[in-house]
Amino acid sequence: MNCAEAETVLPGYSDGEITEVDRGQIERHLASCAACASRTRLQARFKAAVRAHLPRPPVPQELRVRLRAVLGEREIAPRRWLWATHPRLVPAAVAAVLLVAITGTVRHSQSMVLTQAQRTYQAELPMDITGSDCRSIASWFRGRVDFPVPPPAIAAGSCQGGRLVNVRERAAAYIVTRGENGHRVAYLVFDPRDESIDAPDRRLVNGREIYFGTGPGVSTAAYHDRGLGYVVTSDLDEDALTRLVTASFTKSGP
Amino acid sequence: MALFKKRPAPSDFEKEALPHLPALYAAALRMTRHEKDAEDLVQDALVRAYRFFDTFEAGTNCKAWLFRILTNVFCNRYREREREHEILHEAEASPANFEQFLAGADAGRDVETALLGHMVSGDVEKALAALPSDFRMAVILADLEDFSYKEIADIMECPAGTVMSRLYRGRKMLQQALYQYAVEQGIIKAGSHADVAPADAADAPVDMAAYRRRKENGGA
Repeated sequence: MNCAEAETVLPGYSDGEITEVDRGQIERHLASCAACASRTRLQARFKAAVRAHLPRPPVPQELRVRLRAVLGEREIAPRRWLWATHPRLVPAAVAAVLLVAITGTVRHSQSMVLTQAQRTYQAELPMDITGSDCRSIASWFRGRVDFPVPPPAIAAGSCQGGRLVNVRERAAAYIVTRGENGHRVAYLVFDPRDESIDAPDRRLVNGREIYFGTGPGVSTAAYHDRGLGYVVTSDLDEDALTRLVTASFTKSGP
Repeated sequence: MALFKKRPAPSDFEKEALPHLPALYAAALRMTRHEKDAEDLVQDALVRAYRFFDTFEAGTNCKAWLFRILTNVFCNRYREREREHEILHEAEASPANFEQFLAGADAGRDVETALLGHMVSGDVEKALAALPSDFRMAVILADLEDFSYKEIADIMECPAGTVMSRLYRGRKMLQQALYQYAVEQGIIKAGSHADVAPADAADAPVDMAAYRRRKENGGA
């Protein structure tokens, strides 16, 4: 081993990330090369010095208190939206959660909006606007719902149409697309302040929480994205639906 | 499968996850560089960890699992905001006088004492805070939290080779910044080792596998 070669492997050596065989070779080189030996010592001492100079700061008492409060709530519903926008609703929500806990009903029931999306999907209700261009379908909702509706980020296929629906008391957008393999995929876009998302099966996909639900013959994935709630319903199986949703994240993602 | 797994109880979370709170907060503070952001980040990460605690496999490394969530939340939420700061720091070509200074050790000079003997915590903290976030995270995870390359690769969702080069460059930038502070404070005289040849390329790949390959191909 020469010095140039040693330089490429010395960090791994200092970090204890090499095999015994490699260690032998490196140590033989270090024994015969004062320059590499002193560099290695410098790196090790530097690492130790950085660590010594950067002790862990104490955890603020306030954070501990906050954590105790939020984790103590047990069922921590998508709190950002509710908490941030409807602080006065929170006591009511907490009471509701408590009631659920006391009466011992199902912990993760599917929220209404998922069931609603599945029903709308199966009913195949007529569209208010038809067309294959997702962008113009999305812009049709302007002024009809209280939030900007982004066109669905679909990798293949085209849009079919849109329909104005209600989630709770507020107008929401329902957009139907058809993939190139003939599968119908519907997007319900709504204001999540009206209705929280929950479902029995929840997973982290690329760091996002996705909720999966099923109705007769359909599967549903629900998630939050940039302050909006989405429920994607289709006749795809759950894996295919997961892939589709994940792909739309990477397409439109941050 | 899931049917046979025991559902974790809140007390399990308390036992497994909460002991890592000081490590999580320390890392969050150095990632976000703001106390309030760090508190929010830790809270969001722990709430998420709590909700998904049934996906944590008992017996595996809980600290690494928590850090993965923390890093994920950080990347999704805070990194976008800080990108503008970082463009300034992207010019990372090592100044020649720093390389010469380091090479002074080869000539038997006491580089160690010069660089480390006068180091103060405030400067180290400042130098770390100035690193671009990927490098900063690699240094925090490896040097302050003792994660292995493989664990860091898992936490940062990148190949182990990328971890190594981020770590290598991050540490180098840290040393460089501290050297710069020492020069500004007159502890080290800039250019005092101009007689020594500069060291090799700064961005050498840090890879044992590549070394072995070269060796097999008949290199020295």
